[in-house]
Amino acid sequence: MKEELTHQESLDLITEMIKQAKRNVAKGGSKQILLWGWTIALANFGHYFLAMAGIPSPYIIWLITIPAAVTSAVIGTKMRQRGATGHIDSVYAKVWIAAGVSIVICLSMMHKINFNHNAVILLIAGMGMFITGSLLRFTPILLGSFVLWLAALISFNLPEIQQYIVAGSAIILGYLIPGYLLKRAERG
Amino acid sequence: MDNFEPLDPLLHSQLRLAVMSLLISLEDAEFTFIKEKTQATAGNLSVQLDKLDQAGYISISKSFKGKRPLTTCKITTTGIKAFEAYVLALKKYLP
Repeated sequence: MKEELTHQESLDLITEMIKQAKRNVAKGGSKQILLWGWTIALANFGHYFLAMAGIPSPYIIWLITIPAAVTSAVIGTKMRQRGATGHIDSVYAKVWIAAGVSIVICLSMMHKINFNHNAVILLIAGMGMFITGSLLRFTPILLGSFVLWLAALISFNLPEIQQYIVAGSAIILGYLIPGYLLKRAERG
Repeated sequence: MDNFEPLDPLLHSQLRLAVMSLLISLEDAEFTFIKEKTQATAGNLSVQLDKLDQAGYISISKSFKGKRPLTTCKITTTGIKAFEAYVLALKKYLP
């Protein structure tokens, strides 16, 4: 690399390096969204159908979140191994860690909130999607948050078992579809 | 009329400016990442990183990734201010 730079070369270099940094770190978020989208959608529908089939302890289906959490941690580690962390990556991860903690607290207290935990989880997920969409400046993710909030509103007015169907559908429409659109945008 | 401020000589060098421009956009970056993006040689990059570190523009931390040594760089508040001042001064030189 040469030492002396013209002023225009300096500006071009700054622009190119900032672009390089952005290109490298702002990718890969869709993997986590798709992993959790499929896991939660399957668990919701699974819970509903197991309960409808009269199978005892239908909530056993939620154990699929354990391998999902392990896979999520592996994806997170691999993303870190790209050699750099972007400002957005860092905030993005913290938002979903905060959402995860809130969801666990909500689930542990579901009896205190009259088993409206699905509605509360949809509220938390909607907030996570709204912040993620704003950080990534990606409209489908932002719109997804409104789908999740609408589903939360509906869920608050339904019996617990029907909330699983609403939550599963909302995750497909407001979480998985924006996730696939993000994956396509990342490739482009 | 705008005064033409002298450009910070520490930043007005291709490799050091490239490193600072990368780091301003990131939380932190590993040595290998910076080397790949700047296409510099390891030796030259080490020397320039040391200069930026000594000026307090970046902080360098050394750790291990498995058994391999890992060097991670992060821009400091002083570095951010110097970079912003450099860009402001640069703007005055451009038409």
